[in-house]
Amino acid sequence: MDGILLGLETALQPSNILICLLGVTLGTAVGVLPGIGPTATVALLLPITFEFDAVASLIMLAGIYYGAQYGGSTTAILLNLPGESSSVVTALDGHQMARQGRAGPALATAALGSFFAGTVGTIVLAAFAPPLAQLALKFGPADYFAVVVLGLIASIALASGSTVKALAMIVLGLLLGTIGQDQFTGVPRFTFGVRELYEGLDFVSLAVGLFGLAEIIRNLESRHSASIVTRKVEGLWLKKDDFRRITKPVLRGTALGSVLGVLPGGGHVLASFTSYSVEKNLSKDPKKFGTGVIEGVAAPESANNAAAQTSFIPLLSLGLPAHPVMALLVGAFIIQGITPGPNVINDEPELVWGLIASMWVGNLLLVMLNLPLIGIWVKMLAVPYEVMFPAIIAFASIGCYSLNLNAWDVFAIAGAGVVGYFLIRWGCEAAPLLLGFVLGPLLEENLRRAMIISRGDPTVFATRPISASLLALAAVIIVIAVLPSVRRKREVVFQGEDD
Amino acid sequence: MHRRIPLATLACLSMLTLAACGGGDADPAAYPEDDITLVVPFAAGGPTDTVTRLIAEPMAEELGAEIIVQNVEGAGGTVAAGQVAEADGNGYEVLIHHIGMSTAPGLYPDLAYDPLEDFKTVGLVTDVPMTIVARKDFEPENLEELATYVEENADTVTLANAGVGAASQLCGLLIEQQLGVDLTEVPYDGTGPALTDLVGGQVDFMCDQTTNTAAQIQSGDIKAYAVTTPEPIEALPDLPTTADEGWTDVEVGVWHGLYVPAETPDEIVEKLTGALEVALQDQNVIDSMADLGTTPAPAEDVTPDAHTAKLQEQIDLWTPIIEESGVTGG
Amino acid sequence: MSTESGVAHGAGHRPAPFRPDLYAGAAFIVLGLAFAIAGSRYDVGSALRMGSGYVPLALGALLAVLGLLVVAMAFRGGDPAIRDVQREPVPWRRGGLLVGAVMFFGFFVSGLGLAPTLFVTTFIAALAGHGTSPLKAALTSAGITALCLVVFVALLRLRLPLLGEWLGG
Repeated sequence: MDGILLGLETALQPSNILICLLGVTLGTAVGVLPGIGPTATVALLLPITFEFDAVASLIMLAGIYYGAQYGGSTTAILLNLPGESSSVVTALDGHQMARQGRAGPALATAALGSFFAGTVGTIVLAAFAPPLAQLALKFGPADYFAVVVLGLIASIALASGSTVKALAMIVLGLLLGTIGQDQFTGVPRFTFGVRELYEGLDFVSLAVGLFGLAEIIRNLESRHSASIVTRKVEGLWLKKDDFRRITKPVLRGTALGSVLGVLPGGGHVLASFTSYSVEKNLSKDPKKFGTGVIEGVAAPESANNAAAQTSFIPLLSLGLPAHPVMALLVGAFIIQGITPGPNVINDEPELVWGLIASMWVGNLLLVMLNLPLIGIWVKMLAVPYEVMFPAIIAFASIGCYSLNLNAWDVFAIAGAGVVGYFLIRWGCEAAPLLLGFVLGPLLEENLRRAMIISRGDPTVFATRPISASLLALAAVIIVIAVLPSVRRKREVVFQGEDD
Repeated sequence: MHRRIPLATLACLSMLTLAACGGGDADPAAYPEDDITLVVPFAAGGPTDTVTRLIAEPMAEELGAEIIVQNVEGAGGTVAAGQVAEADGNGYEVLIHHIGMSTAPGLYPDLAYDPLEDFKTVGLVTDVPMTIVARKDFEPENLEELATYVEENADTVTLANAGVGAASQLCGLLIEQQLGVDLTEVPYDGTGPALTDLVGGQVDFMCDQTTNTAAQIQSGDIKAYAVTTPEPIEALPDLPTTADEGWTDVEVGVWHGLYVPAETPDEIVEKLTGALEVALQDQNVIDSMADLGTTPAPAEDVTPDAHTAKLQEQIDLWTPIIEESGVTGG
Repeated sequence: MSTESGVAHGAGHRPAPFRPDLYAGAAFIVLGLAFAIAGSRYDVGSALRMGSGYVPLALGALLAVLGLLVVAMAFRGGDPAIRDVQREPVPWRRGGLLVGAVMFFGFFVSGLGLAPTLFVTTFIAALAGHGTSPLKAALTSAGITALCLVVFVALLRLRLPLLGEWLGG
């Protein structure tokens, strides 16, 4: 506990609080722009932090990261434009709430859930970093493959419609994820000689197309789309009943996120998708998920934020970056003359504990910053739709283009928009596709890696305890998910349809 | 910590840029009159990006212009190189690239540019040493034992690398050539995940830059057999060199250099070379590079001629090795 | 598109297939086969050394099978989740304008520069609105262009040139 006291002493210096505030403010302001996700925001703002000394610059960078994440959730809720994979889930119910005039409670839930999860995540980070880091090391390619399979299977619950279509959309997402250079052989796949496609399709373009553009086309089907909000705005704050409903989802989401966040690569994505599935399966009324239930916002937002904290564990205790944002942080460490590694916590206790404590301070500042802003965000929704949708198109195009100056990222928006519009019209949902797209490369990589290491012996998935238990769990879930739909299908076989 | 935020901070936001617009026929004597874009072919935060940002600041000071670092990722750095090859040769778009510049012709048969013909070299920046490292409970204790062990267990030994065209894969090719065996390679998406699995004991050994491995070697999370430079390095003074141990084939460093489009006037190249030379003598640059286990290129290598010679020599070295191994970038 | 809904026949006849499921299933089959066939042209390899084509081939085939299941669903009364939903006609013209606006941005932003491209893009997009006259669209797009330039160029300093090479910028 000495460490955390030292950290608080550092983090609570007025100048560091100010730096942290500056970070979360800038992060929120940039992250809220449609088409600019947290990784892009951090990359964009990274150079500012070089102006400060080591402690201050890392505090600021962490602040930018949280701010950007929160800003991304805001855009997902208000405009149905997820800026990163984990806020795809938030958009499902969050945007429906916004349309029903409940954007205020949705944003407040996101802020409060994130703050709670961030607090717990910080404590977990401070108390259990070494054992959790060891857990992450125990995960070999076979285990990682199993956890991805489990996540994909669990995500069938994301769909409110047909299971078969949800599966098909996951597989389509996995296939889209294979576009680009194969990192095992270097062969470019499905790139048609376009060098810009070697890195694969851009997630943000795909999300903006499938969610944003497809939804705009759908809204233009009928005349009566004067603004995004279809009902009267009813209050900005949570009602007593809302508090009761979000308590358990927040707790469960936090627990799931804290554990899954430690996994390198896709931990935080799995956290938000899985926590949504858990809530839907535990709910008495699972059919309501996807129509704007507050639990569907509370759980993934908490999971996401808890994971954001614990994803620092591999970096701080092993010196190993778990995902792109962490890799950016490693760069920042090095430029400040600090080599991140297993010894950094002993060599630079003030820095590491200061960073950990400031994560909590940053979360606190974010809540204080964002709760008053809710009123302004909600007012923005009243902008006439005829003005709103061209603005979304403009922001999204610039956002996607500016990151890599790659016109193909813009074309991908258009393509995904058209495909998304028709698939959604035909009863297929976009969220499972996006999850498949994000996890596809992880699935393929780890499958191939596991098979290489095991010399082609597939029993490796059954003999490693972690992978065996995860795959068994996935099998159980698929049996539970498929059974009722088989029964239902039998009932409707000979019924006429009356579209 | 108590510094105020200078206005220049806001200018730093300008990381992204297109080819500096216009000014194609500007007077080279007046260069630089505008911001200079330094294109990095790899992700922000990676080792090359870090080296770039270290030298960008003192170079900008020396030139009296702002330098904007732009990350253009893709296809082993060939997307960025292709972009700069096509840029106006006015000195406002500069490329930094590493050993990948010399391996691209072997890896990518349909490369849209020629590394020697389409660029002018500015000078070498640094030559990052590599280390041969293994999981800490791997049986062999030194290179000699490693050679015997690999020979006896060629079927089961796994060699990790950070993906197609990565320095770790190239070094792996040299190791295979030295030992005369074909090892089971396990590719990863970058050094971070590869190193994680090495620390976790999922794979046996790999060869990677000190930038990535020094901290884990010092903490004992992985064991190191040798460094691939002719001389031992400061960060790991006790580590023998591959040459000491008789692995003469495995001598490789991740060398970095600056490039401009071929039609850039010599006067501008001279100015850039001069600024690079000054930057590499900056104490902060020297100290930060030492932390990374490397040193700035010696003054005699910070010239276009030395750089071109190095590039030529490396292309001649790598192209046949890559072709023989059957590795392809697409 | 009203033709999407199946026509209900009298009792005793087999009902016509549910069109949306038929289309969705067909789309999955076509995409699955496309990925599988294209994937099989890469090196497929073996289970030990999976080539570049292994995973696309397997997943493409799986997608085609799932597509067949969706088609089967069309003949068995259709997806209950959307069967009874009233669908509006596809807004071909408005949707086309939106897609065209995005494509225009991609094609022309590097040549024309940010300001003119943005204005045209938002103008085309705005025309897709219900009851938006060309004048109103021009005003809307002028406002949005100005806003975007302030946010991205003045505040964020994204260094996208305002006027591109073709306009001598």
